[in-house]
Amino acid sequence: MHVVNKMHMLKLKGLQVEPIIELKNVTKTYKLGDETLKALDSVSFKVSPGDFIAITGPSGSGKSTLANIIGGLDHPDGGSVIVDGNELMHTRDNKLSSYRNEHIGFVFQSFNLQGNNTALENVMLPLVFARMKNKDRKARAKECLEAVGLGDRLKHKPTQLSGGQRQRVAIARALSGKPKIIIADEPTGNLDSAKGEEIMTLLKGLNKDGITLLIITHDMNVARQAKRVVEIRDGKITERR
Amino acid sequence: MKLFDYIRLAFRNIRRQKLRSALTIFAVVIGATSVTIMLSLVTGAKGFFKSQVESSGLLEQVAVSPKQDITDFNSANNGGQCDSCTKLTDAIVEKVKAVPHVIGVARQVQDGSLEAITYNGKKLSLQRTTAYDANGIITRNILAGRDLAEADKDGVITITSDYADKFGFKGNYAGLIGKDVTLSTRGFYNGVGADIQPPVQCQGACDNNNNNPGQNQKATVFTAKVVGITDTNDSDATVRVPIDWARGFQTMRMYQQDKVTQVDCSKARGPCNPPQPTFSLVTTDQLAINGYASLIAKVDNSKNAAGVSTEIKKLGVGAADASASINQQLTVFNILGLVLGGIGGIAMAVAAIGVVNTMIMAILERTREIGVMRAVGAKRSTVRSLFTFEASMLGFWGGVFGVAIGFGLTRVANIFVNKQLASQGLKAHDIIGLPVWLILAVVGISTLIGLLAGLYPASRAAKLDPVEALRYE
Repeated sequence: MHVVNKMHMLKLKGLQVEPIIELKNVTKTYKLGDETLKALDSVSFKVSPGDFIAITGPSGSGKSTLANIIGGLDHPDGGSVIVDGNELMHTRDNKLSSYRNEHIGFVFQSFNLQGNNTALENVMLPLVFARMKNKDRKARAKECLEAVGLGDRLKHKPTQLSGGQRQRVAIARALSGKPKIIIADEPTGNLDSAKGEEIMTLLKGLNKDGITLLIITHDMNVARQAKRVVEIRDGKITERR
Repeated sequence: MKLFDYIRLAFRNIRRQKLRSALTIFAVVIGATSVTIMLSLVTGAKGFFKSQVESSGLLEQVAVSPKQDITDFNSANNGGQCDSCTKLTDAIVEKVKAVPHVIGVARQVQDGSLEAITYNGKKLSLQRTTAYDANGIITRNILAGRDLAEADKDGVITITSDYADKFGFKGNYAGLIGKDVTLSTRGFYNGVGADIQPPVQCQGACDNNNNNPGQNQKATVFTAKVVGITDTNDSDATVRVPIDWARGFQTMRMYQQDKVTQVDCSKARGPCNPPQPTFSLVTTDQLAINGYASLIAKVDNSKNAAGVSTEIKKLGVGAADASASINQQLTVFNILGLVLGGIGGIAMAVAAIGVVNTMIMAILERTREIGVMRAVGAKRSTVRSLFTFEASMLGFWGGVFGVAIGFGLTRVANIFVNKQLASQGLKAHDIIGLPVWLILAVVGISTLIGLLAGLYPASRAAKLDPVEALRYE
């Protein structure tokens, strides 16, 4: 049974759903020379499991910082971050690595695939760090590539794939560790609108299957497809929808 | 990450930049090859020396000297005399023979009676002559003919190859075997063979205390047959003679006036005919009185040499086994090994710098990749291990190829060394060895150097901030 359906049932039963992401008064400042830049200024917000949120805002507004903090790539300066029951504020680097491996799938604008590895090997990478058996890894990676429609491109290297296909590989890689949350930073930024649309359809499909989706974008067409849109401006958050 | 994954990833990353990796490995190869060659040369020479020592039986020998304060084999072997020393007489020889684990004793004599050797009109001077029991305990490297044997009597000698060369037998030592040479003594020699005349009968009263024994002022000349040519480098004296002949050289022969009843002619009333003094030849075995220069005791097992040496010292004489002086010579090899290994070590250090450089370059190029690895769950320690592994692998392959090339070169060197040794009459084959420990050590050290060289770049890679790394262009 899908998580979404579970949630619906819980809601129908009138029970409170625990948020999968909960930020309280999160601050993050950067020092650029003499200037202090407040990337996040006492940001608080919650995300329910299975939600699809678009984080928008102008360049340098702090949206990537927010995504990185939720994704466990960056530490906030203050406040509290709880993701899927994990308190990230004081988590040590080693634990954060495991957290990213088990809970988060990242999708990047420029795909960030390893050029000398095949599609299959790229998708297997998170599973290598999860110490999964080689045979199981291959099976899982193949399954993920089939899920993104690249079951016939397993042995292809990134250079032999189109932009859209590369991003599909990246999504398959994000999926391989069976994360509950996928954080996609401008996933359609490097693609034309048709390919971008394909990727959005794919991501929405994953969301429908219960994965919580966070998309950072300044493309309003992308943002529009989200269930919630959050805008960050000068480190402050405003809920648009 | 599993060990297999580290190996697989490191291997793949090395192959990614083929030329750069090859050049870096090549630098390690140069270092590893030079270390291999230098150390195999030294271990080869050391092994050859050891085997020579073992085959010479030196390890089973204890040298005995009259001098008690002797500490090393060579000085004990050289012997020497001193007034207060316990003389190495036959009585001592018997006592040494009785020491447990001693299976034989050879007595050594050094003699200065002979002054010159002449062959075919060519006269060459001699410093000293040696003699020892030809019972197989003391052996010399024989280049032609045979060594002295126990059955040899007076008039049989061996000479060294340098003298054979001077007599014109270079390259044909066998040609001198069986030939007669002339040996001449110093003046005032009065040992065996010296023509000593009785003193001239004195007219009138003779002083008994000044009995004017006959002395031989001229050199005595012997004819001797050369039975063997010894290697100059392995000989302590040019001419070796049977020990009994040397005993003869050292036997003092002189005429002494016999005791007579003194007659006082001044009190004689009639004609006084005092009895004429008579003389007889007296021989004194000086060797029996002064003792032998040194003894070599043969021990049943080299392990017992030190113990036997201690036991012999209790007889009031000096004794030393060869282990100390052999160890001293082995130390020389060890120092040589350190120096030569150090030269190879410098090459290795340069190679290590190459590895550091390559790894830093690799990390710069792969910064984004490191960011991705961190994003999908690689720990800092995983990244560190991965790059350290990669650097170690550069060292490992450098070591493997270095040893392989070093092995090839030592094979070639052996061909030349074998020829050289064969020309010196030494039976040795492939002395420049490449023992397993050396192969493992060189590969191990190369890998370790790679690992150490990789530590700094790897720690830089591990410290990369994943967010920054992902943003790196």
